[in-house]
Amino acid sequence: MSALIELSGFSKRFGDVPVLQDVDLQVKEGEVLVILGPSGCGKSTLLRCLNGLEAGHAGHYRFVGRELAANTDWRLVRQQIGMVFQSYHLFPHMSVLDNVLLGPVNVQKRPKAEARQQAETLLARVGLLDKRDAFPRELSGGQQQRIAIVRALCMNPKVMLFDEVTAALDPEMVKEVLEVILDLARSGMTLLIVTHEMAFARAVADRVLFMDGGRIVEQADPETFFSSPQTARAQQFLEKFSYVENMPKRNAS
Amino acid sequence: MASSGLELLWVSAPQLLTGIGRTLGISALAIVFSSVGGLVYGVLRNLGIRWLDTILLIYLEAFRAIPVLVWLYLFFFGLPIFFGWSIPGFWCAVLVLSLWGISETGEVVRGALRSIPRGQREAGLAIGLGLPGLYGRVLLPQALQRMTPPMINVFTRIIKTSSLAVLIGVVEVIKIGQQIIERTYESVLIYGFLFLFFFFVCYPLSAASRVLERRWSHS
Amino acid sequence: MNLKTALVFPLLAFGLWGSVAAHAEGYLDKIKARDKLVVGVFSDKPPFGFVNEKGDYVGFDTDLGRRFAKDLLGDEKKIEFVVVEPASRIPFLQSDKVDLILANMTVTPERAQVVDFTHPNLRVAVQALVPEKSDVKSLDDLAKKTTIVTTGTTADIWLTKHHPDWKLLKFEKNSESLQALANGRGDAYAQDNLVLFSWAKQNPGYRVLAQKLGDEAPIAPAVKKGNVELRDWVNTELATLGKEKYLLKLYDQYVRSQLADGTDPAAVIVEGGDWKP
Repeated sequence: MSALIELSGFSKRFGDVPVLQDVDLQVKEGEVLVILGPSGCGKSTLLRCLNGLEAGHAGHYRFVGRELAANTDWRLVRQQIGMVFQSYHLFPHMSVLDNVLLGPVNVQKRPKAEARQQAETLLARVGLLDKRDAFPRELSGGQQQRIAIVRALCMNPKVMLFDEVTAALDPEMVKEVLEVILDLARSGMTLLIVTHEMAFARAVADRVLFMDGGRIVEQADPETFFSSPQTARAQQFLEKFSYVENMPKRNAS
Repeated sequence: MASSGLELLWVSAPQLLTGIGRTLGISALAIVFSSVGGLVYGVLRNLGIRWLDTILLIYLEAFRAIPVLVWLYLFFFGLPIFFGWSIPGFWCAVLVLSLWGISETGEVVRGALRSIPRGQREAGLAIGLGLPGLYGRVLLPQALQRMTPPMINVFTRIIKTSSLAVLIGVVEVIKIGQQIIERTYESVLIYGFLFLFFFFVCYPLSAASRVLERRWSHS
Repeated sequence: MNLKTALVFPLLAFGLWGSVAAHAEGYLDKIKARDKLVVGVFSDKPPFGFVNEKGDYVGFDTDLGRRFAKDLLGDEKKIEFVVVEPASRIPFLQSDKVDLILANMTVTPERAQVVDFTHPNLRVAVQALVPEKSDVKSLDDLAKKTTIVTTGTTADIWLTKHHPDWKLLKFEKNSESLQALANGRGDAYAQDNLVLFSWAKQNPGYRVLAQKLGDEAPIAPAVKKGNVELRDWVNTELATLGKEKYLLKLYDQYVRSQLADGTDPAAVIVEGGDWKP
């Protein structure tokens, strides 16, 4: 079965600093891939290269079998790749519904009635239909992020990219967003998720990618990765999280 | 018997109205051109195309460094002498004030666009918008609120600077005032009139600016 | 020297270049073909060039322009007046925006290099105006005072050249300079004496110092350098007008009442274009 996304020897640098080095990756349709790694390891950059927000310098990128070079016209490609950002970036001057409809109606030129119906269905699915006429500034972070997900979904993309989408949220709102992503995973959508939420990663992923210094250092299914990481760097990385999860009490005797 | 006081204003009304017409005519045209031109300039500079940026920067520095008066002289007197092209004073004033205005409004637009969080641009691109759509539907609408006060500032400065046109032979309202004062010495009356005139032209712009600012605030 | 004055020099250079390239013939034909004489005048310097209540351009110089139009084109209405400021008189000629300047321009050697003067119609000396009660008695007293001048005028140029150490306060327009003197922002105003006599008659409480700054100079209409056709026409015209004492008529109409009683017209006007230093 041919892959939806194929990276081979993909590299990128910022000036002289290498950010991605020789990345080989294949993502099948319906797969949920979680990318983990210390900050600066290139995981966000990798995501941003997939929809052309960043450009690679070497190697190949194939999307649905089509080779995409840095000078591709990304507009059409981006309609098939949905992206959700850490700071949601809803358009503040538009209502929620207008935010969601901008892509389908103005970019994909779909009839407004049909697009609106899909938009409302999706909004209902995330529990925010009653907010369709509200403006982003009236909503909480968790609500805005859920709407950002709907905005991306309404384009009917083949794959969704999530770039640390809960990192900027107050902890009590993280759950509502993760539930939406879980729901998407269950429905068979292809997802690439960059996150720090380890338990969530363990629960949702089909495959875990661990990156460090711009390279994919280890890949495995979640159970294997979390219980017995193979490389030293992955072990060190996970140890930091388990320390926090299992911190010794202050006055331990 | 020569008129004085309010009677003088009444008698001088035709002249004053002619002067007002010229002042407002020059200012209004320059404001319109500056608005449109400024939007174009601001967007173009925001695109980050190196050679384009260089050209626009040269234009900007030329109008920042060289006083409007010198530009007026160059276009009005210099063009006929160097190239044999003669532009009437009124249109010369419109041209120079517009070019100067664009250099100012353009930087306002650019500053406003730059102040929009970078994520807005990325979010717009991520749903497949091309540059026209990105600017037209996402960036410029958000820039409007940020641009309004400094733009209005530029507009009122255009109105006030229009009086420089007298030095290229355009008899605008301040010059008319001075002609009357020279003949009648009613300086308090005439300058009082000019004060009120400029106030009632510029103040509504300021007030409109505040209204628009409130209306366009999204955050 | 301010920026505007500095600008004159490059314009000077091109004026000279332009005059060499200029064709002297055809200027009068050009005016006749246009059927309009374009004259640069002052609009805020009574009694020589100002605006009356009806909004018409009038004055000693301005009306002379109308007479020129009448004698050249047959109708005194075939004239277009362009408002000029002291510093823009020469650029207006150099750029062919006006045919003639009738704006109280004093003849100086520097100016004669860039424009062609006709025979004079007026004469002037630069003097200083001070408040009646001022302790300034002679010109030397001005060394310790602030003297107001209007940029680009003979007074400005003469004082800058001959007394660079004197404190000068400059304004763009005559009306502003007079306002400044009235407000006490300066101690004296150096300007062509005709302007001062006129203003002093209207504004009691001032007197004109008898001493002249520099020599008496002729004031003459000016044309673009190289325009000998129009220049010669004006000279002939002035001689003709002298025979009917036309300038004296204009003097009586506009100037006499503005100056102190008993002023000799011959000290102000130059009839027939006949002036000797």
